[in-house]
Amino acid sequence: MKNESHGVMLVFAGLNLIFLCCAGGLFFFLIFESYPILKLHGFDFWLGQDWWVGETYGALPMLYGSTLVTALACLLVLPLALAVAIFISEFLTSTSRRCVKAVLELLAGVPGIVYGLLGVSFLSLWIKDIFGLLDGNTLATAGCLLAIMILPTVLTLSEDAMRAGPAEYREIALGLGLSKWQMATGVVLPQALPGIMGAVLLGIGRAMGETIAVMLVVGSLDRIPDPWFNIFSSAQTIPSKLGREAAESIGEGTHWSALMALGLTLFIMVLLINFLGNRFLKRRSIS
Amino acid sequence: MFRVLLILWVAIGVIPFPASADHSPKIQIVGSTTVLPIASRAAERFEKFKKIEKFKSSHRLRILVNAGGSGVGIHSVARGRSDIGMASREISPSERKRFEGSHLKVHTVGVDAVACVISSEVYDAGIRDLTRQEIRDIYLGKIRNWSEVGGPDRKIVVVDKERHRGTRHVFMSFIFGNPTAKTPGTILVTGSNNEEQTKIAQSDSAIGMLSYAWVNDEVRSIGIRDKKNIVNPTRETIRKGNYPIVRNLSFITAGEPNGEVKAFLEYLKSPEGQQVVEESGYIPFT
Repeated sequence: MKNESHGVMLVFAGLNLIFLCCAGGLFFFLIFESYPILKLHGFDFWLGQDWWVGETYGALPMLYGSTLVTALACLLVLPLALAVAIFISEFLTSTSRRCVKAVLELLAGVPGIVYGLLGVSFLSLWIKDIFGLLDGNTLATAGCLLAIMILPTVLTLSEDAMRAGPAEYREIALGLGLSKWQMATGVVLPQALPGIMGAVLLGIGRAMGETIAVMLVVGSLDRIPDPWFNIFSSAQTIPSKLGREAAESIGEGTHWSALMALGLTLFIMVLLINFLGNRFLKRRSIS
Repeated sequence: MFRVLLILWVAIGVIPFPASADHSPKIQIVGSTTVLPIASRAAERFEKFKKIEKFKSSHRLRILVNAGGSGVGIHSVARGRSDIGMASREISPSERKRFEGSHLKVHTVGVDAVACVISSEVYDAGIRDLTRQEIRDIYLGKIRNWSEVGGPDRKIVVVDKERHRGTRHVFMSFIFGNPTAKTPGTILVTGSNNEEQTKIAQSDSAIGMLSYAWVNDEVRSIGIRDKKNIVNPTRETIRKGNYPIVRNLSFITAGEPNGEVKAFLEYLKSPEGQQVVEESGYIPFT
């Protein structure tokens, strides 16, 4: 019996190793491919503002666009997702809860291109009309679109986390005379925080990596808006840049190397955010 | 229930996929979105044509056409990722140098013009032509309002294209004398002809560059004015060479084509093929 479980563990360990190798391999591939441009430009690659193929490569506008668009999406999603998640988990009957969840999970699986086309045909025009802009292809449009895209994921996972809290806690809280609302915000929410954090990190991951939907509405202009906080101006994100230019230069030259360095940057950004998120959670659980 | 699903799932995995077992001859075409309508129309007819001519049903030729832009077309045919590349511009000297070993061969099938286009709202408000200098200043960001060139008092949405696109190369060569000119006045960057057409149609004050065949009621072409002389892009002016921004539409192969690829290119140059070029909105190359 013991031997048998040992064998199973070995298989699992082997599978785990494959995943580790994939992630590590990807990382080293990106470093290897982006080495030429980093050798050429050094740290200036991330500080340069001009991207002219064949002349100079500066990643700052893309870096900035990616960060801003993701932050905007999170800012829009978080309050909405939390409010709705509390409502679904604490106030809905279990039948209607299941229906809502099914719909949400369906929405979470809709591919980016569908959102992208809806964004081009409706969202960008609405944003243009509502804010009276010159043009509707802006950072704000991309942020809104991403918010809509990641909302189902963040929402349904947050709700799972809230639901996962022990039933006794709820009973005790209600038994102590707390109102349902007080129970939800004072007992369920703090309990579910790690799970919610995980949901948000997953959402950020998707938002940062989304290519086609953003590409269609962000305006694809490699320039930092003027002034920098002007979200109603077109800009560029890392995946959108890769989507527009990768096919032209696959596998060779400085241009390719620069694009791979952009990929590396995105990789590191996602790693960093996950790392910080986990640190935050650990610190909370210690205190 | 679960068991049924499991069996179904395994069964789906086990059934051989019909497409993967298909070894019929295949031509892959990638590149310019301007040339793409010619390629897809011709592919459809050529497949039918071939069926009648030579092949029995067992041996069907498949032609796959994909977009991407002229730069992508040239790059992918040179690197062997496709059989034919489509380009709506000349192969640039740097590309010639880079892909020297591939012996790229250009097969021109049609002629097209790059029109300077504006949103129909601006057109209706009276803008019918611009000089080269005015277009240049708009793209440089020196002219930012339509009123500065005699139009309505609205800011200009300057639409540019991705830098490797054939249409941009040809347009910028004429406007700036440099195919990769920098354009600080740009507000939006688009990719394919379709994308640019949509974005200009959605705006009420945009200017951009499009293949002549993509001009419609929402996206109007304007004339190029030189002193008193105005030339509008029409079939007549393009054919005669009066309109200044014209270009060849080409299919590119690495080395001399042979087999199916050769037959397809010959079909394109035949009267039937040239008919396809004309139907796609371009001028046949003769």
